[in-house]
Amino acid sequence: MSAMLEVDNVSRRFGGLMAVDSVTTTVGEGELVGLIGPNGAGKTTLFNLISGFTPVSSGEIRYRGETISGLKPSVIASKGVSRTFQNLRVFPNMTVFDNVSVGAVGAIGQSPWQAITGGSKRAQQISERSWEALEKVRLTQYANDLAANLAYGKRKYLEIARALAMNPDLLILDEPAAGLNDSETAELAAFIKELHSSGITVMLVEHDMGLVMSICERIVVLASGRKIADAEPAVVRQNREVLEAYLGVDE
Amino acid sequence: MSKDLITSAVLKIAILAVLFAALPALLAYLGQGYLYQVVMLALIFSLLAVSLQLVTGIAGLLHLGHAAFYGVGAYIAALAGADYGIGFTLGLPLAGLGAAAIAFVVALPTMRLVSIYFAVATLGIGQMIFLVLQNWVEVTKGPNGVMLFTGIDLFGYTVDSELGTYFVVATIVCASIWVIHRLSHSYYGNALRSLREDDQCADAMGIDTVRLKIEAFMISSFFAGIAGALWAYTTGYISPMDFDFSESILILAMVVVGGLGSIPGAVIGALLLILLPEALRGVGDIRNIIVGFVLFFSILFLPKGLFGEVPALNFIRRQFGSAWQDNPDKQKVGWK
Repeated sequence: MSAMLEVDNVSRRFGGLMAVDSVTTTVGEGELVGLIGPNGAGKTTLFNLISGFTPVSSGEIRYRGETISGLKPSVIASKGVSRTFQNLRVFPNMTVFDNVSVGAVGAIGQSPWQAITGGSKRAQQISERSWEALEKVRLTQYANDLAANLAYGKRKYLEIARALAMNPDLLILDEPAAGLNDSETAELAAFIKELHSSGITVMLVEHDMGLVMSICERIVVLASGRKIADAEPAVVRQNREVLEAYLGVDE
Repeated sequence: MSKDLITSAVLKIAILAVLFAALPALLAYLGQGYLYQVVMLALIFSLLAVSLQLVTGIAGLLHLGHAAFYGVGAYIAALAGADYGIGFTLGLPLAGLGAAAIAFVVALPTMRLVSIYFAVATLGIGQMIFLVLQNWVEVTKGPNGVMLFTGIDLFGYTVDSELGTYFVVATIVCASIWVIHRLSHSYYGNALRSLREDDQCADAMGIDTVRLKIEAFMISSFFAGIAGALWAYTTGYISPMDFDFSESILILAMVVVGGLGSIPGAVIGALLLILLPEALRGVGDIRNIIVGFVLFFSILFLPKGLFGEVPALNFIRRQFGSAWQDNPDKQKVGWK
């Protein structure tokens, strides 16, 4: 498997705190990788480094062989890396469809001139792709509702649809199951597997151990900014360091 | 489908019929110069409010210096006409481009500022431009203002009647508002709205946020400049006081009262705040207090505006025929 994303000895320092400390890992084309770790382990920081929201202090991140650390988030996104956020960030005063269309217009693009004259197929493309993304998350019936009026669980799917409208090759999900109950989490797990089998490489940060253990092919474990394990779920489950740092010693 | 097409066609024809047939016929019948001035002022302020709406209501940048760009356009058109013999045909685009060029220079350093800091920066820019108009006497003639005796010329043909001037102003305002309508009611417009909602998140969607903000600011200033040129040619006399801070606030009030984010709302706000004080001339000085009350209560009871963004977008989508409905459910969503 060729490496799609390479995180090469990456560190991020916030003042005196090493939020991410010399982490090296890769994500292969077509993989479904989980990233876990206790609170404050640096999971979200690592995601922010990959998506360009936080600059790296040292080290390098490469996407398909090309260095992306140091690029603007919008540029990284347009290369095919799209993400969701830990604390739901839909556009509340826009309709569900319009929310999704922002992902599509970010990827496809529409210049002011094209918007005025309508003289290109882009609007049609954006409309079609947004509709397809909404169909994937089964939210078409809410297309004209304001995102703010959507139930919490549905807003999660809306955020994923918006990321999907960008037609990403690598989808980074930051705690998608946070705040969901058990049956909703199971439904989400099935949905993520479905996305993965449609050909999208997925990287997933999660607190919910059950979700990660059940769907991920490989799990990277962070603790206090350092990588302490990087293996299949069965192996990670047995790893002594992981058990101590994350699952608790009593297991 | 065909029924919707008819509805939107009827609406568009009705707007054009009022603007280009009923209203000018009424004005010609009444034949008062003063009424022409009021109506043209309302049209010009409609364009100012709609252009500010693009930046403030849609892209979410609180802009407190819009009148300064309006002034730049007015001065470019008036000085080009009075001192250099450059008529309306060339002066009009020059006014728009000049205002957009200044907007570009100003936008580069300020667009990275957020919320209230951006507002204060635009306040400062507005003041600077006002002070330049006021004090650069050799060029702008300072507080005395500029007299423009030439009428509107269109490719060699001179428009000298009030009715003719009305038609020129109405056509240009209508075309300009149409352009801003197309921009805002499109996926480009959705991208602008996403900046207002959460610009960091928009960034993660592959949207070049700084570039988009600069574009919106320049387009908005371009049309403020166009409005300025129209004003210079309709009154024949401009002075710096026409473009001071209170004018920026007046335009902002139109946008807020009409409904932040709503293009038709901006027009309604402009019509209300121009026509109401004129209609109340009969009651004397108390009219300003009445206008103040109307403003106060409209915001108190309709904080989202007289025609807020959500109903306005629904209206434009459903009745104005701007929606995309090529989907299996035939839902009217997105934009064509």
